[in-house]
Amino acid sequence: MSDERNILASRVVPADEAARESRHEVLRELLGAYADRELPPETMAQIEAHLVGCAECRSGLEVHDAVRSRLAAERPAAPSPALRARIAAAIDAVPAPVLVSAPAPRTVGHRTVVWLAVAGWVAAIALAIALVVQTPASPRRVAGTRAIAAPVQQVALLGGIVDDYARVSHGDLPGRARDLSAVRAAVSFPIEPLRGPDLRLLGAWTTDVRGEPAAVLAYRLRDHLVVQYLVAEDAFFRHPAVRAAVADRHLLTAADGARALVAWPGTSTGTVLVGDVPSEWLQTIWSAERPN
Amino acid sequence: MVSASSDLSLDLRSRFEALVVPHLDRLLAFAIRRSDSVADAEDAVQEAFVRAWLGFGDLRDDALARPWIYRILRTVLSDFREKSGRRQQLVFITRLEDAHDELIGGEHDALFSEVVARLDSEAIHRALRKIPEDFAAAVELHDIDGFKYAEIAEIVGVPIGTVMSRIARGRKLLAGAITAERGAAAFEHATDALAERRAHRGGAR
Repeated sequence: MSDERNILASRVVPADEAARESRHEVLRELLGAYADRELPPETMAQIEAHLVGCAECRSGLEVHDAVRSRLAAERPAAPSPALRARIAAAIDAVPAPVLVSAPAPRTVGHRTVVWLAVAGWVAAIALAIALVVQTPASPRRVAGTRAIAAPVQQVALLGGIVDDYARVSHGDLPGRARDLSAVRAAVSFPIEPLRGPDLRLLGAWTTDVRGEPAAVLAYRLRDHLVVQYLVAEDAFFRHPAVRAAVADRHLLTAADGARALVAWPGTSTGTVLVGDVPSEWLQTIWSAERPN
Repeated sequence: MVSASSDLSLDLRSRFEALVVPHLDRLLAFAIRRSDSVADAEDAVQEAFVRAWLGFGDLRDDALARPWIYRILRTVLSDFREKSGRRQQLVFITRLEDAHDELIGGEHDALFSEVVARLDSEAIHRALRKIPEDFAAAVELHDIDGFKYAEIAEIVGVPIGTVMSRIARGRKLLAGAITAERGAAAFEHATDALAERRAHRGGAR
């Protein structure tokens, strides 16, 4: 009987433990919003209940409160009379603005919209974690390529990357392959080198592309240089032409003269691959990245 | 005699003075924290005010004037940064996160509030500069400038969930940056001060 109980316990406890842990992971990410009273009431209540039994979250909450309180005590700057006069003169020197007609009144309460957005986000996190815990990764749906509908230089991210590639490809590579771990530590998004039978990592370094931090990985591909730029997803998805091109899991393709570009989004990043090689070569690399 | 057109201009200018100009002090502080010098920050703020005036007709709702002018200033600062070619120094985020995790799991977590409350503005600005600008901006807009998450989403142009995660992660990174810079010595000093105060309170009873 005792053995049976032990067997039962060994079956139940790990599952309970896993559920508690996944719940802790979800709620821990919401502590900042909890400290700021920016969550719907029911989520606030859930976190309050969790805090009673979780010392780690109580400690995390204290850090949020301490930072917030100290920053709230920061004083504004004191603009000099000279600056005020300069601003007034600069405004006087330009034409008066053109008035537009008044907007239509709002039909839904602002607070309601905000909480709906927050609630949706909270639910999305919980669902995402539940899926990770409970189910294996679903196969990625495969689609084709789609050329971007704007000139490369008109898309800040791509224009900046093409310019940076031109600089890099005409000089010594700024970093070595063994610098990869330092590059990983320097950026806020995950970095995995590309795979491929003909692809060899030559160097890794960080840069910024039109003000956005980027990780750069250089590869040798059939004795040609191919460079991968990784940027955070918000930078990647900023331009509508990029969003339109990669929608429905398509591969973005573009060209700047003889220079080929392909781009695709990752989990929390975006990759842009550039090279003075046929676009098909770059597309092959992308194909090798996709799960079967 | 004043024409109807100039009456309209004067009304508009008065409205601008009432809605936008009162935020000059906070806007200047925001710009100083992300500029190399006060002069650069003043240039950015001046440019933001000119752009705001030129586009003032687009402001549909007076209640949105404050986030609107911040959004303009962020664009100006980004343009200035691009023009000057100045690059943000990338930080070792994992190191800051490790420092934060050690703080949460270690013996100094109870003292962190004590230490951070005593930091001067210069130390706070130094720590803010060590974390990525997107995270720092979200934290500052909320904690220093008092915006709500929905307003920050408007200013920064990202979904509210992104604001939420940037603030949460930004504060952790900031705590990590403060902990890493202050080191054990500051916490030991705070421990001594705390013990001294407790002993003093005990003696008084």
